[in-house]
Amino acid sequence: MLELYTSEPNTFFLKPLIALAEKKARVEIRYFDATSLDQFAAGFPADLESSLQLEREGPLLIHDGTVICSTSFMLEYISESLDGPSLIPADPYEAYKTRAWAQYLGLQLGSIVPVLGCAKYLAPHLASLDQEFVDRRIAAIEPIERRASWQALRDGTYSAAYLAGVNQSLVTPIARIEKALGEGPWLAGPAFSAADIDAYAMVCVLPDLAPAIVNAQSTPRIVDYLERIAARESVREALANAKTRHPQHQFVPGIEASRWG
Amino acid sequence: MQPTHPMSVTLYHWEPNANSGKPMLALAEKGVPYESRYLDLLQFDQHKPAYLAVNPDGTIPAMVHGSRVLTESTPMMEYIDDAFPGPALKPRDPVARWRMRWWMRFFDSYFAPSLSMIGWSIFVGPAARQRPAEELAAAIDRIPLESRRVAWRKALFNQFTPEELAESRRRVLFATLALEKHLSGSTWIAGDTYSLGDINGFNLGYALPLSIPEQCNDIKTPYIMEWLRRIYERPAARETWAKGRTQLSSRIKLLERNPGA
Repeated sequence: MLELYTSEPNTFFLKPLIALAEKKARVEIRYFDATSLDQFAAGFPADLESSLQLEREGPLLIHDGTVICSTSFMLEYISESLDGPSLIPADPYEAYKTRAWAQYLGLQLGSIVPVLGCAKYLAPHLASLDQEFVDRRIAAIEPIERRASWQALRDGTYSAAYLAGVNQSLVTPIARIEKALGEGPWLAGPAFSAADIDAYAMVCVLPDLAPAIVNAQSTPRIVDYLERIAARESVREALANAKTRHPQHQFVPGIEASRWG
Repeated sequence: MQPTHPMSVTLYHWEPNANSGKPMLALAEKGVPYESRYLDLLQFDQHKPAYLAVNPDGTIPAMVHGSRVLTESTPMMEYIDDAFPGPALKPRDPVARWRMRWWMRFFDSYFAPSLSMIGWSIFVGPAARQRPAEELAAAIDRIPLESRRVAWRKALFNQFTPEELAESRRRVLFATLALEKHLSGSTWIAGDTYSLGDINGFNLGYALPLSIPEQCNDIKTPYIMEWLRRIYERPAARETWAKGRTQLSSRIKLLERNPGA
């Protein structure tokens, strides 16, 4: 049996929903509200890898009892283990490019985009919940890096200057994507691949979160790319799992920024 | 997939250590001959024009295979396994492959940055500071990526705070214990077969018994010690570490089962 524990179809949660729809896979959806800390309730699936995963929050795919986490590798798992079109190119160099993009986008946008989204949408949502409940849930989170990311939102740690700096750190990765799209319609080769799912899930919210950086004038190829992917049947099917009117406003803490910089 | 490419391989690398050692050991395991171009990290060879023509980011390693250029070491290892004949370095089972990739990301993005912060503060920084300060400042100015400039500045001018170093030591210990727990139930990183996950982890961990002798030793972490020794006994590891030129890679001798024999 294939089960997907997912919250609203946005950022990390959007990725496996698109991949499973590309595969036309049958999956049981186990919905939870990550923005209200459901994933820290007793009985929520967890193992060593899911509790230490660098994406911290995020979907879990459970395949005949085995817990699969970390969305880039989840996409590879979906590609390799289920029938249907491959999401990883057969050519070794295009497969390399797919994985190199997934790593780059995962670590760059995966750390930047959630901060911007959480500051705008999650922090006010947390403030609207019962504070005693929120504090109790946060206090029990392990490991401490994961707890700290929630505590920072609870405490209002992100200053305007900090957020401006995070916003600015989008410039390099966005420029790389815009340049790559000048060489072909998709990131890793002639066909749509997991790299495009990884990119779309993080970039599609930026016209809202960082309109000065992603817009029709500055990044015309990205805007066109987002429209082409949004038109895919798999993306429409993925978004049909939404339970709120604005799934693109649902964010949870993502990957920690590099401690070196 | 036809695995043969009648094209030569050139690898630009530093010591068999960390990211450079990953493709070196993977190529040796596959039995792929390659032209070795040694870059001296401490002389900033990786930021000189000749190398920037190969990899404009100025990061090492880089592999050139015919007209293909690869610069991300972990996806590079997957390419080496996909593109060349020789023993398979990825398990066949998709769950085991997923686990291999999960651990490689944990090594690359959680364990390695903390371990290398300590390593740079005690090895790379002091070694490079033998040279005049203005020469170092000019060398930093030539680094293409802002994130790398920040990292080098911290290492060369010893700008790590005590809090940052203490947090890195805490993470190294935490990750060591997680790895010990994993290896207590798994012969290799991905299960029953030696894989890229072991190659990756070995490059990170071969000197752990020397870096943190109080925490990584035959009493506290017997599974890690046995795993490291089993990898060091492989002919490909012997061959690869024989290419080392500095005391950094000679640390591997502590893994000899019969020192002095």
